[in-house]
Order: sequence, then C-alpha cells, then structure tokens
Amino acid sequence: MNEAEPYNVSNKIKPTVDSSNSAILTIKNLTKRFGSNLVLDSVSLAIKKSKTTVVIGPSGCGKTVLIKHFIVLLRPTSGEVFFNDRRIDNLSEDELSTIRTHYGFLFQEGALFDSLSVAENIMFPIRQHFMKTNWREVDEVVKAKLAMVGLDGFQNYYPANLSGGQRKRVALARAIALNPEVILYDEPTTGLDPIRADIINEIILKLQRELGVTTVVVTHDMKSAYKVADRIIMLHHGKIVADGDADYIRSHPHPIVQQFIEGKVSEDDLAVLRLSGALAKAQFLPSDFEG
Amino acid sequence: MLATLGARTVEDVSNAGRFGRFIWRSIAISIHSCASSQTYPLIWTQMNIIGVRSVPVVMITGAFVGMTLAVQAYDQLAGMGLEEHLGVLINISVVKELGPVLAAVMLAGRVGGALTAELGTMNVTEQIDAIRSMGTDPIRHLVAPRVLACLLLTPFLIIYADLLGVLGGALVSFVQLDINSQAYWSYSSYGVELWDLSIGVVKGFFFGGAIALISCYKGFNCKEGAHGVGQACTEAFVASFISILALDFALAVVFKSIYLTFWPLKSIVA
Repeated sequence: MNEAEPYNVSNKIKPTVDSSNSAILTIKNLTKRFGSNLVLDSVSLAIKKSKTTVVIGPSGCGKTVLIKHFIVLLRPTSGEVFFNDRRIDNLSEDELSTIRTHYGFLFQEGALFDSLSVAENIMFPIRQHFMKTNWREVDEVVKAKLAMVGLDGFQNYYPANLSGGQRKRVALARAIALNPEVILYDEPTTGLDPIRADIINEIILKLQRELGVTTVVVTHDMKSAYKVADRIIMLHHGKIVADGDADYIRSHPHPIVQQFIEGKVSEDDLAVLRLSGALAKAQFLPSDFEG
Repeated sequence: MLATLGARTVEDVSNAGRFGRFIWRSIAISIHSCASSQTYPLIWTQMNIIGVRSVPVVMITGAFVGMTLAVQAYDQLAGMGLEEHLGVLINISVVKELGPVLAAVMLAGRVGGALTAELGTMNVTEQIDAIRSMGTDPIRHLVAPRVLACLLLTPFLIIYADLLGVLGGALVSFVQLDINSQAYWSYSSYGVELWDLSIGVVKGFFFGGAIALISCYKGFNCKEGAHGVGQACTEAFVASFISILALDFALAVVFKSIYLTFWPLKSIVA
C-alpha cells in the first residue's frame, strides 16, 4: 500500500467483492510441526470469496494454528499458502506487510494495545499505512467502525475499562479499520456469556452482509458455527475429518463429528479417566474430612 | 545421551541464529528509522521512559560508587603517605570503569527488565501478532525506538553517574577524610584525561545497545504465561549483565591498543 496515499473513506468503505465463487485463500498440503509435535498434517483447503467458513474442532486440534497460516503469522513446516492465487508463505515480512492489509484478524482475547485508547487502537493501522491523512476524516472512520460494532461513544475508553465482550467488539472494529477483504476470527465467542456471544455472531453476520467480506471463523461453539457458517470444516488430530454445510455436519456419520457437535465425552475417554482414578477420587471426600 | 546432546546443540545453534537475525534486522531497521519522521514520536516516548526516568537511580548509583571508593582506598594510600592522590584513584576508576559498568548494570535491571516484561506481556497476549496482522513490522514499531533511545541516552546517563561519582568521592574525601581539596583536584586533573572520560561514555553506547537488543529479543521470544514472562526477565538481566562485563573487557583491550598506538611514549613515561 502506498504510504503517501491519503486515507479515503469513500473508496475504501466498500471493498471490491468478486461475485464469483473463486477461492481467495488456498492452502496446499500444509504441515506444521512444533518440535516433534505434529499439529497440522498435510491439510489442503480452499476458502471461497465472500463466504463464511467456520473451522471447528476440539481444543488443541490445530484450529488457531491453521487460521494463523492464512495470514502467515506462522510459517508452514511444509506446504503452501496462497492469497488470490499468489503464494505468500515464502514472502519476507516486508512483502507480507502489504498483503496483510487485505486481512482483518480478531484475536481470541482481542489483543488490544493496553496503553492506547479505543480510538487510538482503531486508528493504529490507519496511522501505520497512511501518512498524509485528513484526521477529521479518520475520526469519522473510527466513529463509523465503532458504530458497526455498536460501541460509538467509547472512543476515549481504555481497554482496561471495557468488559470482555466490549474488548472483542473494539478489536473487531480495529480489524475492519483498513476495510479488509478477509476477516479471520479466532474463537470470537469464547469466554462470553450466551447473550454477548450472540451479539458477536450478529456482528459477524452483519459485517459479512454489509461489507461482503470473506470470513473465516475458528470456534468450538457449535451454536455460533451453525448460525454464521456457509460451510463448516472439522479438524481432528491435524486433519480435516468433515467439510460441508451445517445440515451436512449435523447428519455426518463420523462418530468423532457427532461426539463433538453433541458435546459428549466418549466411552473411551471415560474409561481412561476411571483407570487413572480421576473420577473415583473426585467423588470422595478427603480421608481426614470430618464435616 | 548423544542424541540429547545433538538435539541440544542444534537448538542452541538455531537460537544463536535467531538472535543474530534479530540483531541484524533490529540494527538495520533502527538505522532506517532515524530517517523516518514517523518514528520520532515513538523514540521521544521511549527516551522519556528509558532515559529521563532512569536519571535518579543512575545518579544514586554513581554517588555511592564514588563515596565507597573513597572510604575503601583511603587507608592504603594513607599508609604510603599518598592520601592526596586519592582523587586520581577515585576519579579514574569512576569515569573509566565503575561508573559506566555499574550504571549499565543498574539500567539492565531497571530498563532491561521493564522492556522484557512489557514486550513479553505483549507477546503472550498476542499484541505483537496483532501488530504483524495489521501489516506493521513489530521490530520497526517496538524494537527500533527502544534500541535508539537506549543507544542515545545510555552515554548521557553514564555522564550523570560519573559526575555524581566524582562529587560523591570528593565529598567523602573532604568532609570525612579531611583531604586537602586543592591537592585532591590538582592530582586528579593531572591523572585523569579526556581520553579516560571518553572511554566510559563510548562504553555506554555499546552497553545501551546490548541491553536494548537482548531485552527486546527475550521479550519477543518469551514463553506463555506469567512464569514465561518472569523467566524472560531473569534471562534478559543475566544475559545483559554478562554482555556488559564481556563488552567491558573487549572494549578495554581495544581502547588500550588504540591508546598505545597513538600515544606510545606517553604510556611509557607514565
């Protein structure tokens, strides 16, 4: 992005959306290891433009690792990552800086800068990429972004003064500050009560509807997944075990998929717990307990 | 056992490579940042945090170094009837060695610890990843201003430490040890040269760079959780301390060679 280019709301507010269903993000045979720990095992995937794809799976199955590869915050051990048919996993950090302005990323805990106010957090990416800027116009942009997440008027608050849900919404306003083509959400509803979680779901739908962005959501909240997804992908032990729309996933025959979407612990896991004595010990009071 | 040793060696070499690359990028980007007015506000902010707020502790460190030297060295010199030479011993020790080294150690604790804790916390709360995800280089935004602030201000802080060290030593010498002030300053001016003062100040430049680079690296690479941040702070201080001592030795050798090259006769006469 040209640093000298002024920030122009009118030409940035609505990104160009390709009406075709071509892939905007593609990964091919992606494998990721951390030491001897294999997290992703030769995963291949294409994310279609202007659609919402939800990646589900149990904790530790590699969902966050996968989503971070889409924006190359992590480099693959092997395999390739493409953005709009351009390979990006082998680019330098400088080259990636430009590519990343096409993305918005909502981190699990928001990752807001503690020392900056809400308005400064949202201005941050704009200040980084547009040197000659009409700051009155930027204030308007901040106001508009906050209004999109229902927090206009919170400009002068600091992250420490916000609730968990508000922090995520501010982080989302910051993620859309550069009018990205792709928004990546890492566990957007985790840690929120059901009502706040549903507010986030509604905002995800609203942004997808109004901005026409491509959306990738990583979650293990099935209610959220069913609500926002055009397509659901389930990861298990670093591999894709199911890929389809919500109805397809609901009726998927794979027992691991059914177990996950119903949120039930398997008999095998229970057997392991019983063998280790964890359940038995948890059911009894300490021997010296006298009431 | 061989496999463990091999794995450990590979890990150590790769860590050294990562650190080398980090230093290289940080220095290159810091130099580039000097020409970018966009980074000036960030540098000013860091100069205030790193430099201005360190002045009191550095001055106290310097003062106690000078005062302690006076008390400790007096008996040895008085035994030989050389107590009026106490100023030379105190001042040359302060400006050449103890002032710079102890001020730098103090900075490694105060500034280095704060840098590692701040960047480490940003790392574990994904704030550094957030900066990268917005297309900004975290080294440009976070490391370069801190490195430049440390590089520019550590020499000045060392001058403050030297000044208070000299004054502290003189105060104890005149008030407690009753040394003739005229003789004290006279011998001092004869024994301490601008060269000695310059050595200390130039050392500050290297010490400041080492503290900033090591602390930022440890912050960027700290492990998850409060324990990870705490461990990174400890490692940053230990590594900075050892680097200060190692750099002090290396610079002492270099400066002595330079001195002997340019003023060979003077050193023989002295």
